[in-house]
Amino acid sequence: MKKLAIITIVLFAAAAMLVSASGQREDGAIRIGVIQDLSGPTSVWGNAVARGAELAVSEINAAGGIDGRQVELRTYDVRLSPQEAITAYNRLVDQDRVTAIVGPPISNIGLSLAPVAQAKGVPIVGSFIDPRVTVQPNGEPWTNMFLMQPSSVQYSEIIADFALTELGARNLAVMYDQTNAFSVSLVEPFRNYVNAHGGNVALEVTYTSDDRDFRTQLSQIQRSGADAVYLPIYIQEAVLTLQQAEQVGLDIPMIGGLDFAPPFTDLLPDPTLADGIYVANNYSDSEPQLVDVRAAYMDMFGEEPINKAFKGYDKILIIADAIRRAGSTEPAAVSRAIARTSNLRGTTGILTISPDNHQPVGLSMVMYQIINGEYSELGRHVPESHR
Amino acid sequence: MYFLQQILNGLSLGAVYSLIAVGFALVFNILKFSNFSQGGLITVCAYIGFMITRTFGLGLGATLALTALAGGVIALLVERVAFRRLRRKNSPLIYYFVSSITMGILLENLITIYFSSNFYAFPRFFARSTVRFGPFFMATTDLAMLGISLSSLLILMIVLYRTTFGTAIRALSMDMNAARLMGINVNFAIAGTFFLVGVFAGLGGVFLGINYTLYPQLGKLIVKGFVASVVGGLGNILGAVVGAILLGLLEVILVGVPGIGSGLSPVVVFVILLVFLIVRPQGIAGIIVKEKV
Repeated sequence: MKKLAIITIVLFAAAAMLVSASGQREDGAIRIGVIQDLSGPTSVWGNAVARGAELAVSEINAAGGIDGRQVELRTYDVRLSPQEAITAYNRLVDQDRVTAIVGPPISNIGLSLAPVAQAKGVPIVGSFIDPRVTVQPNGEPWTNMFLMQPSSVQYSEIIADFALTELGARNLAVMYDQTNAFSVSLVEPFRNYVNAHGGNVALEVTYTSDDRDFRTQLSQIQRSGADAVYLPIYIQEAVLTLQQAEQVGLDIPMIGGLDFAPPFTDLLPDPTLADGIYVANNYSDSEPQLVDVRAAYMDMFGEEPINKAFKGYDKILIIADAIRRAGSTEPAAVSRAIARTSNLRGTTGILTISPDNHQPVGLSMVMYQIINGEYSELGRHVPESHR
Repeated sequence: MYFLQQILNGLSLGAVYSLIAVGFALVFNILKFSNFSQGGLITVCAYIGFMITRTFGLGLGATLALTALAGGVIALLVERVAFRRLRRKNSPLIYYFVSSITMGILLENLITIYFSSNFYAFPRFFARSTVRFGPFFMATTDLAMLGISLSSLLILMIVLYRTTFGTAIRALSMDMNAARLMGINVNFAIAGTFFLVGVFAGLGGVFLGINYTLYPQLGKLIVKGFVASVVGGLGNILGAVVGAILLGLLEVILVGVPGIGSGLSPVVVFVILLVFLIVRPQGIAGIIVKEKV
């Protein structure tokens, strides 16, 4: 018995040493963590972010690394589970000793990570657009959470302004998932903006993430006589919504959230189902800063990069830039440097992060309309109040 | 008018639930436990159906037939792996239950491993997505589903009440040992039942996949089938169909009720389930199939 206890203790000690030894690589590679949904319902997004990050890292390494040190990625699949995301974060911090982390485009996960990151000190650069992920209830920013695309407030104001000015809609309906932070966070700013600018949100209908049948809600929208409907919803529900909207005969302009951006139409049983949808994307395919990155991405992965791939790429750019400016791989120093990111040329725009709310400043969106299953560009849309 | 349209929508939803509920009822009828592996089976079938259409470019009828066959074969395997040993050892009922849940999780996770890096939707089977009846309309897939569910249920009834095999299954549901003593091949009859369950999972899987897109957690919808079969009377096949249609109608109506909506409608559904369990545990059908002792 005693022998067994001693063996156990020795084994534990050895394991503990191994674990801590694996993190001590002061002169070796710089480690950056990646937390993404590589499987599960949002894996199309997660894989794109992970690949974009991989591409950026391989380019940085090919150019000699950061201050002469190579960069190494540690990627964990969290399957859209906030619980698994916390486990992955702890593992990246305690075991892999990463300097910073590339976060997912999932607000629910960002919300669960924010307090953990506050306590453990390793910064996360993500694209979770719920402002609560980056700003605490008391108005202070969460120290280690950073957003690198327009927040839900900015996004919904752009969309609302577009609906009012370009589509001339006055009566708007909204359908959203009341169990999803992303979805909920896009509704209130939309409603406020519409009401303050001469429009009216005539109807708001909700569903929960387990629902698969939205025909009742869509019939209600049709009966409400709304001019257009705003759908800040996830990709799978978006596919179902379009199928079922056709079934109930709902035929008014639809304004989508980011999930309607490419490759959305490729996922539909019939791409023309998406006709008449307006969607905002972070960039325009014709913009010159994308050309090289797109070519390199297609070379590396043999597929067209989507929106989230460019975001993964930019997240690494932000982290690498911060490490260079901080002159250190110490997470706290890197976190402080990320908060002072300014005029960094990324693929999705010129990135400047506000130290007050850890959200980007001055990003606009490019509007598209889907016609015959193809995305047709309508140009950047900037509301008066954002200029 | 609007209300009648909602009733039509509810019927369509109920038809999906009834395919699931019947699978539950069939197994409960004989083995007296709720077979939760059916969720995993439905998910696997949905993906098989998808692979069949994608690989061979078949129409709906052929896809359904092949998937139903594949579902039957997989259900036979499930019975062999998860339940036959338990039966041979006369294991307590709880083991069947645990084994069925484990099997369901296993099947779901196999799908997650092989398919979840992307997101799939069935191609369009019908040129027109809706069929109009005067002022009303119904999705073509729903109409096909309602038709195929009802006719397959009818065939099931004929099998159960008009064939020797059906008589064997019904005899088993009353007393397995007596049936064996009367010379019925119990293993064969049970395997046959599972084959039928697999066929229903195949049909249900394809329709669920068409209506709700493909994702590894598709089988979660079996909870609805379970609720429907409890309301209808566990183990009673007609009761399960009635329960499923009532559940579909109830959900559609609740979502439209101000103050309840989508968020609270599951609460109301489960409260009704509780009331049923307390007040009328035998369900609508009124005949309770006794638990295995």
